[in-house]
Amino acid sequence: MVLNRDLPFAFSSVTKQMLDKGDSAPAFSLARLDDTTLQFERVSSKPRLLIFFETDCPTCRLAIPYVNRLASIIDGNERIVGISQDGKRPTRELIEQAQVKFPVVLDQDLSITKQYDPVAVPTFFLVDAEGVIQQTLGGFNKLELNQIASIMNAARTVIAEPFDGAPDSKFGCVSRHLESAGEGEIANAVNPYLTRGARATRIELDESTDPFEYCMQFGDPLPVVPPTVERVDRLLAETSLEPDEIIGLIPPNYGAATVEKVAANAVMAGCKPEMMRVLIPLVRAVCDERYNIHGVQATTHFAAPLVIINGPIRAEMGFASRGNVFSNIARANSSLGRALQLILTNLGGARPGEIDMSTLGNPGKFSYCIAENEEENPWEPLHVELGFQPAQNALSVFAGESPHGVSEHMAREGKQILKAITRALATVWSYRVCHGIEAVVILCPEHVKTIHRDGFTKQAVREFLYENTGIPLRHYEDGGGEGTPYVKMYKRAIIDGEECCLKFPEPSAIKLVVAGGTAGKFSAVIGSWAAGARGSQMVTYPVSAES
Amino acid sequence: MRITLVNPLDETSRTVASAASRLGTLEGKTVGLLDISKPGGNIFLDHLERLLRQRYGVASVIRVMKPTFTKPAPEAVISKLVDADCDAVIEALAD
Repeated sequence: MVLNRDLPFAFSSVTKQMLDKGDSAPAFSLARLDDTTLQFERVSSKPRLLIFFETDCPTCRLAIPYVNRLASIIDGNERIVGISQDGKRPTRELIEQAQVKFPVVLDQDLSITKQYDPVAVPTFFLVDAEGVIQQTLGGFNKLELNQIASIMNAARTVIAEPFDGAPDSKFGCVSRHLESAGEGEIANAVNPYLTRGARATRIELDESTDPFEYCMQFGDPLPVVPPTVERVDRLLAETSLEPDEIIGLIPPNYGAATVEKVAANAVMAGCKPEMMRVLIPLVRAVCDERYNIHGVQATTHFAAPLVIINGPIRAEMGFASRGNVFSNIARANSSLGRALQLILTNLGGARPGEIDMSTLGNPGKFSYCIAENEEENPWEPLHVELGFQPAQNALSVFAGESPHGVSEHMAREGKQILKAITRALATVWSYRVCHGIEAVVILCPEHVKTIHRDGFTKQAVREFLYENTGIPLRHYEDGGGEGTPYVKMYKRAIIDGEECCLKFPEPSAIKLVVAGGTAGKFSAVIGSWAAGARGSQMVTYPVSAES
Repeated sequence: MRITLVNPLDETSRTVASAASRLGTLEGKTVGLLDISKPGGNIFLDHLERLLRQRYGVASVIRVMKPTFTKPAPEAVISKLVDADCDAVIEALAD
């Protein structure tokens, strides 16, 4: 997907080739998703509408509900035909998500696209009964959509109302056949909308080479599983995506994480083949702009991506959520976290000592992945709190420091436990620095049981921690030091009779997760890197249910 | 047994750009100073600006600042430097 407004001027000459008003519309036959064929004849009894679209184009997605409306008011099936420039799987997903109400055909080899030659998607071709193009529309435009609709339906019903929340018009994306991509072609700059990359090269090892020694160059400093073609193929068999499909461009070098490259790194990390279903959305999540992996990878701070797994997939794939959850307890946790780190260094280029110049680093850069102990969580788990269903799977990524333990075995009340946690929370980033930071609080089952017994809801816990985590003003009296220049900007509150700066800007800066074993009253706090829109925001992505 | 590996490293093709030619002199030139917005960066760049003007006879200094040091410079920041026809740009951070 390339935004049309980013097109170089050279494309203006291409515009002339697009079929236009008065041109004859070529007949075609293309396969529907169920492999039956749709014939588009030149001559028909009524005007028809062809729409060329891509599945990852926001403008196409914007336009679909309006075309659905048109489809529901005109008579005659197949008077509207959607022509997808993508494969079966993404097209099916789009049809389901957008509940497409008109026939859709696949133009995977772009042969029909090349005949009509649209510059952008969506492009609408209104074809009259004689097979002559009557009107074209590139991109989204309510006025022109209404014009097309009035020609298509006798009642002249308006399909696109003004002020319905959508813009009056929006540029489309570059039509797939005009995207420059593929092996051997060199882009002038990073193109963040590439969807296909080159296949990985093959490395032949002769018999005298120890594959484990050879592969030491590919990993963290520990041995990896050699990514043989056979092993990588077993992972590729677990996904319907094509091996050369790009999942994301990994900052800071913006290396293309194709499905094949992801699989090769997953093999090296020791992932089972079925881990692909978690790893692919994980790569998408870390590449989410909000997460800002560029900064997380390049900072001198301690931050490393902490992966938090929720949903039934925990049991299905053996993710540990109980005792030793942060340690070397389960293949699923360790291999998924390690695979992500290998992808970040091997494809993103954030190699320690090179681009990753972290002052002290983080042991989580070997692997940093936990699952929530939903069974011991009396409240809604993290993913449900964020809008998912309990039966859905989700993963979250948080740019975090190492866990900082909070031992509290003497407290008999939930409030006392939470007070102990506030004291650890006050120290994250640096004791006197407030706002601009977040924290994950890992509540252990024993602590959470007492807190819940005392009537705390999850939100009440968050608010209590927010209201009671502060730094007394007297600690700023000695002047200079990190946090002190901004003291006037910090929110204030009276905590235990003393005026304090509140550590966090709002309760939502504190994320609550239940994890760990049922013996031991040890919770933990994990400080963030620079948080919010100016740094890194935690993102949560769904993981598909089917294996 | 011979084995074949799938290359797990980055093989993305890239355009290699050569660095701009170095300036023979700073005298009369326009120099851009890009502050990445870390604390203390302005103190360092103030000093640098003074040196550039007084010791090296730089004609004008364009000061721009990234909105956050955690992310690459946005287009708007880069284009301020481009529009100013800078002969050289110094990007600096401080902590």
